[in-house]
Amino acid sequence: MRYLMTTGQNSRQADEALFAEMGAFIEEMTAAGILIATGGLEPGGVKVTSVGDEITVTDGPFVEAKEEILGFALVEVSSHEEALEVSRRFRRIVGDGASVLHRVMGP
Amino acid sequence: MTPAREGGLHARVDAVWKLESARIVAALTRMVHDVGLAEELAQDALVAALEQWPDEGVPANPGAWLTAVAKRRAVDHLRREGRAERAHAEIAHAGESDGEPAGAGDEAGDDEADVLRLMFLSCHPVLRTEGRLALTLRLLGGLDVAEIARAFLADDATISRRIADAKRTLAEAGAEFAMPGRDELAARLSSVLEVVYLVFNEGYAATSGQALVRTDLCGQALRLGHRLAALAPSEPEVHGLVALMELQASRSAARTGPGGAPIPLHEQDRGRWDPVHVRRGFTSMLRARDLGGTPGIYVLQAAIAVCHAQARRPEDTDWTAIAALYDRLAALLPTPVVALNRAVAVGRARGPEAGLALADALRDDPRLRDYHLLPGVRADLLGRLGRHDEARREYARAAALTRNDAERAYLDARASAPAGTTTAPTLDDRAAAFLGGLEPPARRAYGQTLRRLVRGLGGTTPLDALTGDEVTRVLVTTWGGAAAATWNRHRAAVRSFAAWLDRPDLAEGLERRAPDRPQAAPLDPVRVVALCDDPAVPVRERALWSLLHESGAPVRAVLALDVDDLDRDDRCAGAVTWRARTARLLDVLLVGRTRGPVFLADRRPGPARTPAAGDRCPDTGRTRLSYERAEYLFTRATGRDATLRLLRPRS
Repeated sequence: MRYLMTTGQNSRQADEALFAEMGAFIEEMTAAGILIATGGLEPGGVKVTSVGDEITVTDGPFVEAKEEILGFALVEVSSHEEALEVSRRFRRIVGDGASVLHRVMGP
Repeated sequence: MTPAREGGLHARVDAVWKLESARIVAALTRMVHDVGLAEELAQDALVAALEQWPDEGVPANPGAWLTAVAKRRAVDHLRREGRAERAHAEIAHAGESDGEPAGAGDEAGDDEADVLRLMFLSCHPVLRTEGRLALTLRLLGGLDVAEIARAFLADDATISRRIADAKRTLAEAGAEFAMPGRDELAARLSSVLEVVYLVFNEGYAATSGQALVRTDLCGQALRLGHRLAALAPSEPEVHGLVALMELQASRSAARTGPGGAPIPLHEQDRGRWDPVHVRRGFTSMLRARDLGGTPGIYVLQAAIAVCHAQARRPEDTDWTAIAALYDRLAALLPTPVVALNRAVAVGRARGPEAGLALADALRDDPRLRDYHLLPGVRADLLGRLGRHDEARREYARAAALTRNDAERAYLDARASAPAGTTTAPTLDDRAAAFLGGLEPPARRAYGQTLRRLVRGLGGTTPLDALTGDEVTRVLVTTWGGAAAATWNRHRAAVRSFAAWLDRPDLAEGLERRAPDRPQAAPLDPVRVVALCDDPAVPVRERALWSLLHESGAPVRAVLALDVDDLDRDDRCAGAVTWRARTARLLDVLLVGRTRGPVFLADRRPGPARTPAAGDRCPDTGRTRLSYERAEYLFTRATGRDATLRLLRPRS
């Protein structure tokens, strides 16, 4: 089963130590076949809205900075608990903040 | 807020264990030189966790905690055995890694190398295959006996015995916990690859009823494969195996129909192949290619899978390349199953006659005597050569041999099809034969389509004279104006029939349509106001409807509101805001209420149902109003056409 983890602002300073620790974690999770894709997200974003036949494109931001989603990871795990455990390990690295997990339905 | 879905401490410990156990057991095996003992000590640590964590709380780094405790037990054991010197060395070693986050520093490198040694050990050639499988899942996958038993459809006692036998055999053979020497590396590695691929195939071959429990084996095998690829990155065959498994896994959703009936590769809906697995497969394949060398059996099989994955439509398949790959594979892996697949590929690339010649040669192989795919393949080739009587007999044989119910039904359908005529079979005959072989529900559903098709094209039309354009014309004239779902259903029936005829070209012109998404318009605001002001309707419903209308918020978000989420002065609750009408109705609704869900059900839950604490009003014991019930109440009040979602304001 797959889960999408999205993450907002984290408290830990993005310095070399963080990059090294995060790099090792990402490498380990990739090697284990757990991490499928991950990346940071540009703040703000663009919203595409459809009403009837009309498509509207609006530039962000749409939420307050502290609620913005700034990163994601798509993981392949064997249980809900395992998804939680992987995100716990991630949270231990990045300091204060929050991540949200959604099970990905399908394909 | 709903309480987190956590399966409690046991589930959490289990998740930690599955992620960490291979490293822990491997590290202990290095210390005590006995895999059975290492596993027992690791289990002791697990038991300690279950005893201590409920009181002391789960440690910040549970994996490191388990490792540290397990290593301490191993040191204690060494002391008791009088191997004090060794114990002291291990204390020094274990002390360095105590509490260190796993995956940091050089320690991880050591531990990972131990994992590779453990893989070599649990797949050791002195073990019987079934012992290797069970031991690998146990030691490297962290599965418990019951999980392994479920996966192999065996009972717990059998699996326990297999694991115990395997451990004893390793001890008696003096199998070492070490990297194999250069001279035996290739053979030992292929033993590991074989085990991983067997685990995968056990999962992949699962039939529908067992699919849920058994497909996890595919996941286990993929994990083992990826881990192995990270540990032995310079071995092309490891990447080949990972590519092969990923590409096969990409097809798992597409390869069975709704009833569990197998769908052959060339009839699968390629849109359902999982692109994530395909991409990972291609990536591994590129790694294998970059490493160069003569392709081994896994790289060759993966290359064949790549050919299939690259074909957007079945008719785009490069059978010439596949047949050439099978020629090479058959030389390296002269098994009858490979030879049979080669016959199929050659039959496609170089004509049915050439394929049949290869398949016929296999009839004398005793290993294939009871293998249902041999008569199945021969039947297909005979049919394409127009030898229908022989083909029917072979289908019947195949049906009698298969152990998979869904597959048997499929083969029976072909076997019971009238032979047709050796001269040109007519559309009428073939349609009747096709329908006759289907289960009643499918027969009814497809019958309508095919009757129209036969009527539109003429039942006595020889099949050879039919073209895809004519089929498209009939379908478009009959159902061109229908809803997408209707069109797609008829299209599916025709495609299925065309595939059965081995004439996929007949359905080629039928494009799948995206489903229509009817965008129902929001309700007229005048009507909404009338509903919210109707004194005959209970105030709870009116408050809910008014809130949905004024806020435009999702129904679930509104039903999830608790009394203390509401800021009634500022008329908002988070992002949900409202105006005067809702404020007035909420004031009436919430008289005397200070907590619990805003919208409550009418009744208390029955004794058999215990709702989560957050979904129950602590004062009245009533539970949160469910979406279904809210929807029902709205539908009842407004007539059949409206749903809660339509209360959103018009933009």
